[in-house]
Amino acid sequence: MYQDNVIRPRMTDSPAFLGGTAAVVFAAACLSGAGQSGLGGLLAPVVNSLSAPALRTVAVALTLALAFTANIHLIGKLPLRGQVIAVWTELLLLFLVFFDSFDLSYSFIGTKVGFMITQGVLTTVYVSAISIAFAFVFALLGSTAKLSGNGFAVAVASFYTSFFRGVPLLIQIYLIYLGIPQLGYVVDAIPAGVMALSLCYGAYMTEIFRAGIMSIPKGQWEASRALGLTPWHTLSRIILPQSMRLIIPPTGNQFIAMLKDSSLVSVIGVWELMFLARTQGRAEFRHLEMLITAAVLYWALSFVLERVQAHLEKRFNRAHR
Amino acid sequence: MKRLAFAAALAGLLAAGTAHAGEVLNRITQSKTMTVATAANWPPQSFVGPDNTLQGFDVDVAKEIAKRLGAEAKFVTPEWGIITAGRWSGRWDISVGSMTPTTERTRILDFPAVYYYTPYVFAVHQSSPAASRADLNGKVIGVEAGTTTEDYINGRLKIDAVGVPPFTVDVKPKEVRTYGDSMGPLDDLRLGNGTRLDATVSALPTITGAVKRGYPVKALADKPAYYEPLAIAIDKGDADFGSRLTAIVDQMKADGTLKTLSQKWYGDDLTTLR
Repeated sequence: MYQDNVIRPRMTDSPAFLGGTAAVVFAAACLSGAGQSGLGGLLAPVVNSLSAPALRTVAVALTLALAFTANIHLIGKLPLRGQVIAVWTELLLLFLVFFDSFDLSYSFIGTKVGFMITQGVLTTVYVSAISIAFAFVFALLGSTAKLSGNGFAVAVASFYTSFFRGVPLLIQIYLIYLGIPQLGYVVDAIPAGVMALSLCYGAYMTEIFRAGIMSIPKGQWEASRALGLTPWHTLSRIILPQSMRLIIPPTGNQFIAMLKDSSLVSVIGVWELMFLARTQGRAEFRHLEMLITAAVLYWALSFVLERVQAHLEKRFNRAHR
Repeated sequence: MKRLAFAAALAGLLAAGTAHAGEVLNRITQSKTMTVATAANWPPQSFVGPDNTLQGFDVDVAKEIAKRLGAEAKFVTPEWGIITAGRWSGRWDISVGSMTPTTERTRILDFPAVYYYTPYVFAVHQSSPAASRADLNGKVIGVEAGTTTEDYINGRLKIDAVGVPPFTVDVKPKEVRTYGDSMGPLDDLRLGNGTRLDATVSALPTITGAVKRGYPVKALADKPAYYEPLAIAIDKGDADFGSRLTAIVDQMKADGTLKTLSQKWYGDDLTTLR
């Protein structure tokens, strides 16, 4: 976004803003009865001497308001990068405290996490990777068909995108897994899941590809044709390489989304990450541990992919730097 | 003539979903593997054990059946709804998954043998004053969706099997809440008496297991609400395989194998009615 050049005093230095924030936090903490919550337990050594519950709430709320305001004030003094790092760390810590308050058994997570990675993460990643590769092909075919002058191709492609974007992925998985055997072809769980994922994401990506191709000025087509290139060569050598710059970032986004949507394949019995998360802790009545472990693993995967995507974006943007 | 051939091809195509007599049995004896569909999150029947393989009562029973057929058991774990939907198209040969042979299910699956019975009980929070089922009238009761507990609490349960003792639905709940799995009601019940739920209907082994893991719940002490007969299921149409399975289960009951397995996993003999 646009960086304004007018220099104003920092908001986090203004007493009115800080006072207002403190008052809001104090009021919210008082109203939600902070003294009785888990937060009150955290401050227990200090506030337990106060016997009246109302007094305890006020004490906890006051501490909270002061700490929060001081925190904002201090972070406000940092440069932008420092602010980002500080707030990230704080949010992450809060998250960990939140998880920790569930009274989790870390030793149990320790015994299971290896299998969740070797079996679960591996299956999730390879199912998603194969699916995105197929989806890429479907999208390329779909978008060229949609932009072609052939009535049949346009009809088939628009029918395809309409159906696969209009029906929930879960239903598509069921339809493919249960429906195709009625025709006499028995598909296994993983091929059925890959088929559903790639058809569905192919339909979404068709629109991304179409937008990418249409963004290239018409003059490029005309110039290529004038030079005697065939329409196919124009598309593959001139138009697509240029439109990749616009296609790659949203495709990476789709892959990250697919990574998580692939958890739907667990309903047909594929032992991927979500399936293991739901089943591993069941015998020990420790499903919360497994769900949190899966959440962290999915998050870590997405984080890595975001980095990869940023790198790709940079690469395809070379010409425009 | 052409039309006739087309109709025949179409009929063949439609029939491809169901099994033919002896087909499944032949497949098992030839490949020496019996593919078993079972759940993966239903202890102590079948669950993922500490060594990351399936284990439990159903798994042991399936392995024993496979052994007596001269084959090795291989397990697949599709969602429960997909197993009970029938038309397995040979993806798996048999379900040893504690399935209740309800009237509706007998339309799409065959149940060659009932291999044990589970008592179903009402469970409440530890601090609940309820002492018998009569105290639960007008309360909020949670059940697992798509199971016999849901049909029972709504007064729709019909069990179509021999030797099931008659039961009556004598609780009129204010509200029935349904959950996606059997842990849902217990997780809500543990929050406190009446916080989200007042009671749940569940299999006695599930309640016992939860109590063992420190859930603050207890089963009501009166007679079980109903007994659920649990059967082996196969796809429609292979009578040879069915009669072979009936004979094997009878044999396992007679020589005490089934009883030993029940003692091992439930600490109790659930293979006969009391």
